[in-house]
Amino acid sequence: MKGVLLKDLYIAKSNLLVTAISLLVLGFGLSFLLEPGALLVLAPVVSTTAVFISITSDAGSKWNKNVITMPLSRAQIIAEKYVFYLILAASGSAIVLPPCVLCTPSGAAVTASSLCLYGTLGMSATFFAGAISLPCAYLSDPEKSQIVFMLSFLASTGIITGLILLLNLIFPVKDQIPAAFGIVSVISAICLFLSYLIAVKLYRKRDIV
Amino acid sequence: MTDALTISGLTKTYDDFVLDHVSFSVPNGSIVGLIGENGAGKSTTINAVLGLIQKDDGHVSILERGELDDAVKEQIGVVFDGSNYPEILSPGKLNRVMKRIYRSWDEPAYFQLLKQFSLPAGKQIRQFSKGMKMKLAISVALSHHSRLLILDEATSGLDPVVRDDILDMLLDFVQDEDHSILVSSHITSDLEKIADYIVLIHEGKIVFSRPKDELLEQYGILKCGAAQFDALDPADIIVYRKMDYEWQVLIADRQKMQKKYPDAMIVPAAIDEIMLLYVKGEKG
Repeated sequence: MKGVLLKDLYIAKSNLLVTAISLLVLGFGLSFLLEPGALLVLAPVVSTTAVFISITSDAGSKWNKNVITMPLSRAQIIAEKYVFYLILAASGSAIVLPPCVLCTPSGAAVTASSLCLYGTLGMSATFFAGAISLPCAYLSDPEKSQIVFMLSFLASTGIITGLILLLNLIFPVKDQIPAAFGIVSVISAICLFLSYLIAVKLYRKRDIV
Repeated sequence: MTDALTISGLTKTYDDFVLDHVSFSVPNGSIVGLIGENGAGKSTTINAVLGLIQKDDGHVSILERGELDDAVKEQIGVVFDGSNYPEILSPGKLNRVMKRIYRSWDEPAYFQLLKQFSLPAGKQIRQFSKGMKMKLAISVALSHHSRLLILDEATSGLDPVVRDDILDMLLDFVQDEDHSILVSSHITSDLEKIADYIVLIHEGKIVFSRPKDELLEQYGILKCGAAQFDALDPADIIVYRKMDYEWQVLIADRQKMQKKYPDAMIVPAAIDEIMLLYVKGEKG
């Protein structure tokens, strides 16, 4: 799996400039509207686009066909993409964390709790989006998977809102915000794991030509 | 002689195409050429052998193993039409990727092949010509101590010089009698140069699987007029084709037929002529 991961990291590296500029522009724009910590919500989302670039690139170069003939199981091939997704999501958050702390335009205060909240929210949105879009990327053609990828982030926002509303029926979310978003993040991680199992099951039987 | 690859009763059904109980083998130390027109089922056969598509029926045994596990894949080198490697990589970066995938990756052998093929290690694959990409794919396939090479239309679209280089490389590979090659191509002249056995597939079915020398030395085309054609024993006709001014009849034994029909004009049959007659001709 290490070899395939290295290949994807090379692809991610080739798109690093585009990702960095996207984050910079988004961060600069948002700094006038929201507190800098909000960048933590967007960073993992933006950084994981490289996974879909790599899936499209694999299909375009027919690497997806070639890699099946190598000493790797289909489960390992899928697992690598999920690992790559997690690495990029974590890296995205890690990269914007120092600017969030240091760059506080107009003297906006950044607290540890708000950073944790935004970070958890960003990761939850990314996990839900990955849970929807990653299996679809393997089951449909690259063009359709790009559309699913874009829609998945909208869907993840809806899912998080729905879960928060649901939790509000059980306990007052406003009073226990960290607990509520903690539960959401755990559910998102479980969904991502379940989507991996589904992707493996479906991909195992799929014809690659 | 044991077989490096044995395919028996391989079947795959699509809406518009059926790979119908395909059976043939690749003996150790030999080159088997799989020929057939476009859409005949060559790539479907290879894809099923490599586990890229799920077979409906049949059995495939590779390197004496019934299952295509990682240990078997380690010993198979595969080359498809095109490079099939991410184009942003260079051969140098590809080496770093491959040595983490193949346990038996032979880095010095890989760089030796790059040197032999004059492939720059630091240049991105996207800047390579089609011939260079193909040479790179073959270098990768030969750099992890493969025992079986499977090439699917690997020489298509290449100029004669590059094709000749690749054919030489394949001939070198089978000098070791533990090494074998299955190569599919519709360029029959390439297979005529290197193959030990020819397998013809047509409309998803195996038409024949025979030693190449037997085909070239024994098979022939009997060219005759309508009257002479009518006088032929149907048992002697494999397939025939009516041309504008003559009948062309594929026969299995030139010398025997020449004795039986001394007035007939019988010429040796090239592989592409045999394929053409089977594909376009009618059964006797």
